Amino acid sequence: MKRMFLVSILILSVVLSGCVGSTSSNSDSGAGDGKTKISFIHWRGEDKEAFDSLIAEFEEQNKDIEVDMTIYPSEQYQSTAQTLLRDGSTGDVFTSYPGSHFEIIKQAGLFEDLSNEDFLENYNERLILAGQADDKQYAVPLQLVFNQPIYNATLFEELGLDPNPKSWEEFLALCQAIADAGHTPIAFPGADIGPGQFMNSMMMNNAPEEDVFDKLIAGEARLTDEWWVKTLTQFKELNDKGYLGNGALGTNHPGAIAMIANGEAAMLATGSFAVAGIKEINPDIELGLLAPITVSESEAVWEGIHTTTFMLAVNSKSSKKEAAKKFVSFLSEKENAEEYANKTSQHVTVNDVEYTSEELKSAEEWFEKNTRFQPRYLIPNANVEKAVIASIQAVLNGTDPVKAAEDSQKIVDQNI
Amino acid sequence: MNLKRNKVLLLFLIPGLILYSIFFIIPTINAVIYSFTDWDGLSPDYNIVGFDNYINILTNDSIFLKAMGNNLKFMLFVLIFQTGFSLLFALFLIKNTKTNVFLRALYFFPTILSSVSVAFIWSFVYDPNIGILNTILGYLNLEFLQQSWLGNQNIAIYSVAVTQVWFHTGQMLVIFVAGLQAIPKDLYEVANIEGASRWQRFRYVTWPMIAPSATIVMAYTTIQSFKAFDLIFAMTRGGPNYSTEILATLIYTTAFRSFEFGYASAESVLFMIIIAIITVLQFRILRASKVQE
Repeated sequence: MKRMFLVSILILSVVLSGCVGSTSSNSDSGAGDGKTKISFIHWRGEDKEAFDSLIAEFEEQNKDIEVDMTIYPSEQYQSTAQTLLRDGSTGDVFTSYPGSHFEIIKQAGLFEDLSNEDFLENYNERLILAGQADDKQYAVPLQLVFNQPIYNATLFEELGLDPNPKSWEEFLALCQAIADAGHTPIAFPGADIGPGQFMNSMMMNNAPEEDVFDKLIAGEARLTDEWWVKTLTQFKELNDKGYLGNGALGTNHPGAIAMIANGEAAMLATGSFAVAGIKEINPDIELGLLAPITVSESEAVWEGIHTTTFMLAVNSKSSKKEAAKKFVSFLSEKENAEEYANKTSQHVTVNDVEYTSEELKSAEEWFEKNTRFQPRYLIPNANVEKAVIASIQAVLNGTDPVKAAEDSQKIVDQNI
Repeated sequence: MNLKRNKVLLLFLIPGLILYSIFFIIPTINAVIYSFTDWDGLSPDYNIVGFDNYINILTNDSIFLKAMGNNLKFMLFVLIFQTGFSLLFALFLIKNTKTNVFLRALYFFPTILSSVSVAFIWSFVYDPNIGILNTILGYLNLEFLQQSWLGNQNIAIYSVAVTQVWFHTGQMLVIFVAGLQAIPKDLYEVANIEGASRWQRFRYVTWPMIAPSATIVMAYTTIQSFKAFDLIFAMTRGGPNYSTEILATLIYTTAFRSFEFGYASAESVLFMIIIAIITVLQFRILRASKVQE
């Protein structure tokens, strides 16, 4: 009896160690029926339906290729995508964020060079720069987002307000008029994405040169310089005057979306990607985009902020690069990009796309404006980015702007 | 049973040892090795940097020190209130009446929830605009107490700690109830004959007799509060302004956001040493309390 028990334990341990071994073996890459199966990974859960139908069309056109789409929560995607891509079996086609995420994947050598691909011609040249490095096109951003406040156009019209402030004084007057009418001027989701989003339009004219964060990393610029202290002071002014509402740092993005959707707040300090969420709560609301101008009218250089993101790329470790490139090429075609844009209520970087929804059409004017690529994404070090955002949170908590800038600069110094 | 005589019994240790090695010993040794490198977690190459990571953490990393301070604040708050409340409730719920069994089950209920759900529920409770906490304070005309509970950097860590206490008090209550029920009744009878007051009965009978339960509760609470990663990550992500950053969230950010695996490994090794020190101290206190008995 004892011996039987012992033997069964030994068998169990062999089985267990066998299980551990099998996870490291390479899984079969083929679909088993002669088809090439490619894996497509990204973080946009809200785009699943649009992609399902695009993938069905692609598979119809390319009978020998099957696309297996896996969507990860964005947080998880940012932290684990690189690891998934390394052995080449997952993410033949994958997506990347611009900035530090792109930089990390590039350093790991996981981007296939797309510089000579014909589909690049479909894109607006100016809008795919975020996917370029070392004179090579490593990825193509598909989405175009405007990271500046959204305003409730219905409410603005009702109150007779002009959504084009040309100077800091005009912006403050605009906020005051909204506050006087009994509304919160700006819904600010300080608990999550608010500081990282609103800082872009708040600083764009205070530090008009686009390489300011490169200089910060190189030690040639400091957060204690006028450009950042002024930005923090202006954040403080908005908060002290009550324009960011009560407990801005405790408000999260869904809460802030609800505030603008139900008419409690007149602006939402995040970006055009929140439009779909607002419309879901209040389909009748009319929305527009505006940006705070933090300097005098004559000093203003930039009119707004844009980001090109959801960067499509092919895994350099993949054994099915040709099929993967075919899929990226398919998504880059005007008709398909148009279908994606209109189904997901987002602008795209592909040329000549016609938008059907009113919101997308109304924001089209921003294509022609002098917008700047989101400065936060140009911070190549995640610790520095966190320190920059922390200084905004500190100021909103009552810390003096100069002290908050000094504290954050100390962290920057420790990380460069 | 004598292990020396029945050597075959040693074979029984093999399955456990294999699992323990795979999931604990080997990763730990790896972490120690990587802590002496500048590995980014992705590239195949890395350089040996000696003690640079450790020196940097201890001399030039204000966030690590802040995170350690936050960890201690969080731990002390949770330790005091979780132990206090669970003991207090246990004293009320010691008898096995139907109501008491129901209440024990009710208090235990939060423990079975997933920590992310608890984090979301409490994020709504704490919301400064629509949260129930501020709303209730408003109804009670206590507006001056209304706060941005998770947004105020001076109190955010305590707000999360309150959630942790709510989350696990019921679990600790069960341990205390078991400890209290094991106290022989005659000790109380003697105390009554001696004319002991309610407080004296607690101080000289109940407390010494539940010392072993209290030690288990305190040891468990300490470890639990150190690994409160999920709750903090889902509620505040370490913000605002690093006010809820604890070592576990800092290590995660260093490894998976900044991709400095070597540095994160060094942070983990230091974290491990800190926990080891606290555990050793607790064992000493445990021995001391045994002597007192």
